[in-house]
Formats: sequence, C-alpha cells, structure tokens
Amino acid sequence: MLNSVRFKSVVPLLLCAGLLSLVCGIAWWSAAKAEAAAGKKEVSSREWAIVSIELPAGDERFPPGNGADIASSQCLICHSAGMVLTQPPLKKDEWRAEIMKMRSVYGAPIPDDQVDGLLEYLTAINGRQ
Amino acid sequence: MKRSLLVPPQSRREFLTGVGGLGLSGLLGAPAWSGTGESLVLPFVNGDRNLVKDFPQKGAMVLQRTRPPLLETPVEVFDQGIFTPNDRFYVRWHLANIPTVVDPRTFRLKVRGHVTQPISFTLDDLVRKFKPVEIAAVNQCSGNSRGFFAPRVAGGQWANGAMGNALWRGVSLKAVLDRAGVKAGALQVRFNGLDTGILPQTPDFMKSLDVDHALDGEVMIAYAMNGAPLPLLNGYPLRLVVPGWYATYWIKMLDDIEVLDKPDDNFWMTKAYLIPDTPLADIVPGQQGVKLIPINRMVPRSFFTNVKDRAEFKVGEAKTVRGIAFGGDTGLAKVLFSADAGSHWQEARLGPDPGKYSFRQWSVQLRPASTGPQTLMIKALNTAGVSQPERANWNGSGFMRNVVESVSVQLV
Repeated sequence: MLNSVRFKSVVPLLLCAGLLSLVCGIAWWSAAKAEAAAGKKEVSSREWAIVSIELPAGDERFPPGNGADIASSQCLICHSAGMVLTQPPLKKDEWRAEIMKMRSVYGAPIPDDQVDGLLEYLTAINGRQ
Repeated sequence: MKRSLLVPPQSRREFLTGVGGLGLSGLLGAPAWSGTGESLVLPFVNGDRNLVKDFPQKGAMVLQRTRPPLLETPVEVFDQGIFTPNDRFYVRWHLANIPTVVDPRTFRLKVRGHVTQPISFTLDDLVRKFKPVEIAAVNQCSGNSRGFFAPRVAGGQWANGAMGNALWRGVSLKAVLDRAGVKAGALQVRFNGLDTGILPQTPDFMKSLDVDHALDGEVMIAYAMNGAPLPLLNGYPLRLVVPGWYATYWIKMLDDIEVLDKPDDNFWMTKAYLIPDTPLADIVPGQQGVKLIPINRMVPRSFFTNVKDRAEFKVGEAKTVRGIAFGGDTGLAKVLFSADAGSHWQEARLGPDPGKYSFRQWSVQLRPASTGPQTLMIKALNTAGVSQPERANWNGSGFMRNVVESVSVQLV
C-alpha cells in the first residue's frame, strides 16, 4: 500500500521542483490512495500501479423487427448497438456501403444470404429516402 | 453554414436534462435507450444521448457508444477552465479488445525495426533515465463535430466535445529513438498500442509519422496528464502526444515503436483517416476524383462556452461572453467576436497562454442597447494566418470541421 514515506521517495523521481510538482504529487498520491482503498490497485515496487478496470456492459439493444436477430448476432461481435442507433438516418445505399465495409475491411462474417435481411432491417429502423 | 440553422435551439437547462425528442426510441416506441441517468439532446437529428457515470475513472460523460467506448466531454466542462480534467476527458477507441488490466511490472515499451539496437524500456526507465518534458496541447478527434455536417455523414456522431486540453508530461520521442539509434534510410516511425480487434481479420490500429516529424523533439511519449497518470481509457500507461496534429496519431497504451525503411502501407494509414488534399479538406458533396492524403495538422477553432442558443440578455446589463479557442498546429494570433452576425468584428480579450498548442480562454463584455434577436459569432486566427471559414467545410468522412461558431440570443 502507498504510504507517506513511499510518497516522499516517489516525488523526486517523477516530478520537478516547485509548486506544480507539489500539486501534481498530491493529485497522483490521492488517486493512488483512492484506488488502493477501493481494492482496485496495488502499488508495485516503484511508483507505478497495477490498474484494473471493468467496462460497463451497457444497455443498448437493437429494437425488435425483421432482421434484428442478424444485427444482434453480427454487428455486436465488434461493437455495441449504439454505433448503429446514433447514426443519422441513412439511405439504403449508404447502409449497404456500411455493411460491405464491415465485411471487407473489418472481417465481419456476415453470410451473403444475410446481407439483404440486415440491409432491410437497418433501413427500416434508421433509413431515409 | 451557421450552426443556428442546424440547431433546434435549446436552453442550457434543456441541454442538460432534456427528455428526448423524436429520436429513434420515440419513433419506434422501443426502449432503444433505457439508461437510468440523465439524458440530453445533442443539437442535430437523432441526437438523443445518455449522460453516463459508469465508466471507470470517468465522471459524467455523453455516451456515444458503449463498446468500444466513445465518450464525449459535455460542453459545460470547457467553461470551467482551459485544462480538461482527466475524468471528463473524451474517450475514443477503435477496437474492442482493450486490456482492462495493465501491470507496470511487466509492461515494456519496445523500439525496433530500422535501428542500430532494438531496445525495450520499463516505465521506471522512462521516468528515471530520461529528462522529463512537458507540453500543454489539445487532443482533438479528426471527426470532432461530425454530427453538425450537412449533409450528414456516417461515423461517430460527435457534437463539439471530442476534444480536450491537457498538460502532458513524459519523455521526448527523439530521446527514446536516439537510444535505439535510427539508421540512415529510415522513412517513417510506426506506433502500436495494446488494443486489438475482436476478429483476427480486423486490421490492428497503428499510425505512422514521417521520421523527421518523429525526431522533431516535440513529439513525446506521455506518462502523465494534468499531473496524474493517464486514465486507462485515455491510454494508461503511455500515450503518444503529437502536438498540433489530430488525435488519430496519439496512440494509446503505446507499447511498440517500429522504425520503417519504407512507407507504412497499413490500413489505418492508406485507407482510413484520409482527407481531400484541398484547403480545410473541403469538397462539394458528391465531388469525385479528389486526391486523398492522410489527415495531419489541426486547424484553428473557437467555441462559446457560457452562452447557448436562445439565451436571453437583458438590455443595459453588462454580460461577459466567453469561450475557448486554439490555433491548431500553431499558436493563436487573435480571436474575433461579432455581435451582428459577422458584419463587424472586434478582438476578444485572451486569457493566459500555456503554450501554442493549448486552449486559451477568450472573453468580451457586452452591454446590449436595444431589444431583439442577435447572432453572436466567434472566429479564431492563428499565427500562420489561417482563420476559421464562415462557410462550413465538408468532406465525406466528417473530418476537420472548423467553421465559425454562432449562437442566436435574444435581447430583452
């Protein structure tokens, strides 16, 4: 655990002299202390801390509709539904281009026979003429 | 185009606590967003967003995407000072395999490729064996403000909060490369971080700088921002800092530096993050046959931070209007304010200058004399003579927006 003795030994390694270094040091120390108290951080042999986080799962879901199952099984491999749902309404050609980009560039394993179904779904939930 | 033409005007209160208009969820009657916290409406079509507080080491952020995270800094944060707090600094990841644990005892920064001596550094090495350097610099996503593009384009639909300013502390990239010894014939230096794609086919996210740029003594490897370690979502433990250049080059969780003796042909340099080779990357929608080049230097921008559309100013009462500005790839020369939709401009007062790549605050004092609607505008000019355009620049990727900002106020 971080203590004041270690803190003092850390400062010369990390920070320049002067007021700025004091402010920085306090911020650094406070953050490390808070993390340690939360059990999320150990202090290694020197000043660097193991940082361990958990990312929220989120509650974004594709709205129901024909093809929602394709979107859920394919798009969600690499990104959450928010990526799709926050887009401006796109024309069918624009949605097709997005699907093709995901397949050819990023390797989305969308089978040929699911492309049209996914396209109809995306156009239905967030399309324009 | 003036922002006021695109914006369903909102008061500050509505911006912070709006219950949503006709977003997707409203149209579909389905709970596309079922967050429990506050929501807000970004001022463009389908701009409903949640304000979330459940990302590690982060305070309240505008949720653009959960996975991989896209988190926008709420605009009011920029009114609180020119350095963006770490826990409100925007977040942008491309690939979803982001290490959630970083152990500094085993972490190494490798330098390899076209060098005399491949070498690796522990974090302690970087802190103790190099002279620390510091620079204040704006980090701005190439697609900041994409949501305001007209016509709209696909991509992360940011308002103006995909940017932040920090005091970065670390080591000079040149000093690190010098330890390895860049060999004659080196052309570029490629940077890679710990994040990877979910699918093996997804191109790993890597970016390159020309070797002269990498050795300019200004590009640095940061181990601290604003006096504290980087939040993991901002790249703990190390992040490349490329002052004056768009954030796509500021590789997070940097652990691999490769000196190349040929141009980098990886996807993220040759197919993505390309802009039209025109002033301000501006083209006409639908324009074909334009030469494309990798995005590079930033352009000047300025923003209002304490006035929103439809704000009311009382006639005869003094009012301070303020905001932030930056010069892009060089310092600010001046910031011009107009109280009459651009017919007349006056120089705004500028706050402290922490360095040419930093935000600065601007302010003007107003004392409205007569009632009625009024359009306020703000425009930054940098020391290279580049100023913000009064007509919005446009390109199909939604990059580099830097039009003069406007707000419509009511004098009562």
